[in-house]
Amino acid sequence: MMIDIETLRTCVRDGVDFVKKQKDVIDVEIFASWNEHITVRLNYTSDIPCNGVHEPKSIQYNGIGLLAVFGTGKGVKVGFGSVSNNITKRGVVDAFQKAKRNRIYDPDFKSLPLPFGKVVLENYHDPAVMEIGDEAIVILGWRGLKGAITEYNKKNFNNSIIIGGDITIIKERMAIASTKGIDDFDETTILTTNITSMVEREGVKGTGWCASTHLSDFKPEDAGCDSVLSAINTIGGERISTGTYNVVFGRQPVTDLFKNIVIPALSLSSINASDSPFIGKLGQKISSELLTVYDDGTISGAVGSKKVTCEGIPTGRTDLINNGFLVGFLANNYFSRKLENIFTSFVPRNGFRYQNGGRYHNVQPKICPTNIVIEGKEEVPNEALLTKINDGVYIGRIWYTYPINGLAAGDFTSTIVADSYIVKMGKIYKPLKPNTVRLNNNILDILNNIIAVSSEKKQTIVWGGEEVVLAPEIAVEGVKLDSISGFLY
Amino acid sequence: MLEYRSKIIATRIKIEHIDTIKDSITKAIGRALSLKNCNYADIRFGINETKYASAEDGKSKCMGEDVSISFGARVLAGEISSWGYFGQSLGEAEAGQKSIYKKLTSGIERAYTRALANAGKKAEFKHSAPSLTAVILAGIDVHKDTINAVFDKEPREVKLKGIINLCTGISLDMRNISNDVKYSLIHIQTGVNRELFCSTEGACIDQTYALTQGGVCVVAQKAKGVPESYCDYMGDIHGWEVLEGKNVYKQALSDFALLRTRETLELTEAEFLPATDEPVVVVTNPHFNALLVHEIVGHPTEADRALKLETAYAGRSWLFRSFDDNELGKQIASPLLTAYSDPAINGYGHFKYDTEGTPSKRVNLIENGILKGFMNGREYAAILGHSPNGSMRATGPYYVPLVRMTNTVFANGDKDPKEIISDVSDGYYIVNHRIPSISESRENFRISAQKVYKIEKGQITKLYRHGGITSDSKDFLMNIDAVGNDFEVFPIPNCGKGQPMQIMRVGNGGPTLRSKAKLTGHQKL
Repeated sequence: MMIDIETLRTCVRDGVDFVKKQKDVIDVEIFASWNEHITVRLNYTSDIPCNGVHEPKSIQYNGIGLLAVFGTGKGVKVGFGSVSNNITKRGVVDAFQKAKRNRIYDPDFKSLPLPFGKVVLENYHDPAVMEIGDEAIVILGWRGLKGAITEYNKKNFNNSIIIGGDITIIKERMAIASTKGIDDFDETTILTTNITSMVEREGVKGTGWCASTHLSDFKPEDAGCDSVLSAINTIGGERISTGTYNVVFGRQPVTDLFKNIVIPALSLSSINASDSPFIGKLGQKISSELLTVYDDGTISGAVGSKKVTCEGIPTGRTDLINNGFLVGFLANNYFSRKLENIFTSFVPRNGFRYQNGGRYHNVQPKICPTNIVIEGKEEVPNEALLTKINDGVYIGRIWYTYPINGLAAGDFTSTIVADSYIVKMGKIYKPLKPNTVRLNNNILDILNNIIAVSSEKKQTIVWGGEEVVLAPEIAVEGVKLDSISGFLY
Repeated sequence: MLEYRSKIIATRIKIEHIDTIKDSITKAIGRALSLKNCNYADIRFGINETKYASAEDGKSKCMGEDVSISFGARVLAGEISSWGYFGQSLGEAEAGQKSIYKKLTSGIERAYTRALANAGKKAEFKHSAPSLTAVILAGIDVHKDTINAVFDKEPREVKLKGIINLCTGISLDMRNISNDVKYSLIHIQTGVNRELFCSTEGACIDQTYALTQGGVCVVAQKAKGVPESYCDYMGDIHGWEVLEGKNVYKQALSDFALLRTRETLELTEAEFLPATDEPVVVVTNPHFNALLVHEIVGHPTEADRALKLETAYAGRSWLFRSFDDNELGKQIASPLLTAYSDPAINGYGHFKYDTEGTPSKRVNLIENGILKGFMNGREYAAILGHSPNGSMRATGPYYVPLVRMTNTVFANGDKDPKEIISDVSDGYYIVNHRIPSISESRENFRISAQKVYKIEKGQITKLYRHGGITSDSKDFLMNIDAVGNDFEVFPIPNCGKGQPMQIMRVGNGGPTLRSKAKLTGHQKL
């Protein structure tokens, strides 16, 4: 059962009125949300019995999260309590009792968030997504499959075919109020699809994806078709030998590198834990001057956009890297205030309670990106990137990217799994055989060796990621690539 | 105006509440049988009671004591039998018998509607995609059983204040070891989880397990040096005694945390390990092998990966390309090596029945180097023509079950680990796992280690940092020439799989091994 915005707002407003009158309470913040996360998982295998749409499924949850500040004889204490599926007065009382029982003395806690800035986005969700029915979600899944199967049939590929991926729909409603004057709400709809196609006997894999806030713009069949075309285009791939190459990173690898390495290192939570290669580098040059990166939660139509954070602060633009210089970090209220005497004060535009694909009442705000925008100082068309590297490799999809020696060391590794090509004399020469190359590099080298950034960008999401990257393609010099898996391919 | 009631916390829902609503759950599953073309349904209903706390640098960060209630309904319906699923978290206020029955029947109906719609589209597409088939579940014996949690010290009786004091005390002690310790974090959770599984086949399995876990993170740095960080865990499916020394390390959490802190400090003074272009002799310790077996044996022997269901996410398996072209029955490792998955032994993968009600059993994955089988669930067992072996697990009742590792390990050998090292004239000792990166079909890996030591003339000598090993998986497995007799199972708390991603606790381990691999190091700027 859906819970409407008015119910959430009434609950948090009345709740604040009640809690602020309780003994020892100095301040209180109440967050309430309702979320539904729908996944229609695809699995078509031409040579193995399968379901096509393997399972349409969903998780629903709602509840209250309450953070109270208590003045006691021993100083200020803070306590967090939550209740599930009880957006009522009774729910507030239960959450308050838990907060009271759970209170602790944390000397790093300075204050609840204060109102700041103005909201940009209003009414940007799609009511049609909020109301989507059980049969309609199943149909979306089959539309994605149809796009892929039809394309395979057109190209006369009938066996050794794999089509996998999902349609994901996220519906979020939240409201927040506090004794500091925060009083706001938000309503979001997100649709994404990621489809992977393979012709397994050829060892090729292709990817297609799309993301939208509105049902009318959502075309899973196009993603299915794109994935097939990309797979077929990479048939006949060749291996490369171990060495250092000039590389064009496509949108998925750019997103993967930012999601797993760069953005975590640009979060104040990593700075707090002394675990970032960017500690002590604020104001310094950390990358090629061609690179500018910022987080912007106000982009209309982008699926990472929100009206307000889960702390009730209007979203906005947070500059992170400007023409190669480190200019900011992603922050929530807690870390912004804790570290404001060490750095400068960063506006807490990234305090979100993301969990299970929604805004979860049961956790306190973490630092999460919204839409990460990557820009170049002098952007060039995609084709010009190949000219820039002349000879090298176009990398279209990487996998399992991790900071292998800890985030602060900057070392990372991953493997090239799909959508990739060998480049000669500024042009695509031949496909690169998937799963035969491992990247072993340091992220600071990659950032400093950028030689061009493309002007065309696309909303890109990778598995397990909370953020959307408006990703260009990026050309980089001197990337170490190791030949692997000689026993198999 | 709200009414203040002080007794609410004292009367909150506990896992024992399942006793009072069992009838509502079995009645709800009975309702599924009346739905037209409903071929199968099951419900998992769970209550979890947990206490938790964390502290950084000697300062309290959070503590709490909570209960979560949720259920998942899974339905097979339609002429071409297809899946539909619905999951939901519930509140304490709606845990009464009538309310539960209403929620469960509504959930079954939602899952049923989805299954029917899915079956209809499957029929429509079948002419252009002939491999689309009805779901068949391999048969199992239907059980009614109750499994009680095993612990020495009941997690629910541990005082919350004691947990937070332990966190702050240990993290302060870590920080006080040296000014070079830049960050210390301790987090603890302890609780009990009870889950009831009921199916239209008549199964009714009521399982309760305790869980206690302590986590340690430390960052140390010399002036102007590269920070050294390390995180590690202790934990088991038992009570508070786990953190008092009844664990794989045979150490209390405080001793474990201080040891990891001193090791991290020692590493800040070590040289970076130089990478090699060619394989060298490496001896890997049981803690390192826990992650190694997880990544290069456990994951590729999950039947859903073998059957390509994870192609878009966690990857396929190089062990199964097709029914006609796979490694079953073939030599994929040294004859010295055996690996298995066993929910009966102690560890995070311990249980008696999986989330489909299949009795758990030891699954022999590799016997003397020969690939013998895959971990599976009922649907995948039917496709492969194997017997169900009870390897379906879910992070919570509202998640769909997936094929998961249980306690997946390299089997014990017979060689003294000291001898394994002393036989090496020139090699490296790889100690304790850190971070993995594995190829898509698990055919190649790079895994970093907490510490790497040089072995010279049978002696452990110089310590290196930021090191690890990389190899094609088959090469590493085939080159194993010694297996130790120091078998241990370690807790792996964060294995991600599925969409939406589920984070699962599994047990992994083994004894000391000796093989060959290339060394990896710090990519110096």
